[in-house]
Amino acid sequence: MSERAHSPRIAVVVGSGGMKCAAAVGMWKVLHRERIPVDLAVGCSGGAIYTAAMALGMHPEEAERHTLVMWEGLFRQIHYRSVFRSLLSRWLGFNERTGLIDDRAIARVMETLYGDATFDDTRIPLHLAATDLHTGERVDLDSGRIADAVRASIAIPVLLRPWRVGGRLLVDGGASDPLPISIAIREGADIILAMGFETPPRAQLDSLLSLAGQTTSIAVNHLLRSTYAFYSAVHHAEVIPLLPSFDQPIRLSDTHLLPYIIEQGERAIEAELPYLRRLIAAADGVGDRAGPAGQGEAARGPARAAAGTLDAETT
Amino acid sequence: MLEIRVEPRGHVTVVVIQGSVDGLTADSLLGALQKEVAGGRTRLVADLSGVEYTSSAGLRALLATVKDARRHGGDLRLAAVTVNVRKVLDLSGFTSILKLYDEVDAAVGSFGAADRAAGEEAI
Repeated sequence: MSERAHSPRIAVVVGSGGMKCAAAVGMWKVLHRERIPVDLAVGCSGGAIYTAAMALGMHPEEAERHTLVMWEGLFRQIHYRSVFRSLLSRWLGFNERTGLIDDRAIARVMETLYGDATFDDTRIPLHLAATDLHTGERVDLDSGRIADAVRASIAIPVLLRPWRVGGRLLVDGGASDPLPISIAIREGADIILAMGFETPPRAQLDSLLSLAGQTTSIAVNHLLRSTYAFYSAVHHAEVIPLLPSFDQPIRLSDTHLLPYIIEQGERAIEAELPYLRRLIAAADGVGDRAGPAGQGEAARGPARAAAGTLDAETT
Repeated sequence: MLEIRVEPRGHVTVVVIQGSVDGLTADSLLGALQKEVAGGRTRLVADLSGVEYTSSAGLRALLATVKDARRHGGDLRLAAVTVNVRKVLDLSGFTSILKLYDEVDAAVGSFGAADRAAGEEAI
């Protein structure tokens, strides 16, 4: 137990980034393989999907299997009634719970991944970020049904209808905090693996939607960098940025790129592994505690060994 | 893990840094840089050609030194920044508040006579 007391508290933060967030699976696979324990999971938007599954103890290979199928057609079906009502809102009235995409496929994915699980069922603490549509506040969701929290966190404005949780109407967490490092700091993390995603500018702007998308992406990119800069500069926690690099734009329909996205997530964490191992070893003062699967089990503290997906027994 | 070598170059001090500037080494770097500033050597160039990695702790050490040096009329300028370190500096916005140069000589030369006079006055 004394070793546990000195172990650094490691948080995984996965920010907003649409389908690019599947890179979190790559990171997760490597952390699992290296038996690096995670004490806290924080997610936002697409990142909420993966951190919730991680906190619930899903094996990364299972998460990968889901990932390779669940994104297919997720944003394809238009919700015609919403489009119709939006166009005729002057006569029919406007419903703020409107989204252009029919979200029934998303509801099925939420059901498959989380069922009726609540935050009380997680193996490690989980926090998901969303945005209050009316006040603009960043909302930290850490209780209730996980499926509702994730659904709120991924409610991409205009595309997916806002989601009500605890009496508040919530939209995508990326609107207020695309990389919620602050939650991990507040919860006492010493080492924060912060996986964020920038959206490159579109080469061609050929519609009103693309124009709106470009403007939003620019704002979110700047918010992401400002967030990283601020928390890196002012806090003692070690923030390790993981920014998977993609050699092409990735849209929600590019499901054929999912294996590539996951691979880039692996690469991003692999590049940080030597430093991460040194940090953990130095903080523990017991040598290289984390190590490839099969080598580090004895060195791990019992409380941590039970931490979510990184537990060998869950494999 | 981290090697620091100080080379006086006229009225400028070049600090050659080699290794990883991270949570395990940032205190050593900060101590070395603060020692230079405290000794009145406030026109500093950090030669980062041998640094392949910097973490948020490394960024904090650089930022503290920049603030300290500028408060005393000098500056910390970065030279020969590697691609990996440049990425972190870009991400954190440091490239918009620090002066970066491709070559150490250019960074040294950027401290003109006016800098020298201002620095001496401030000390």
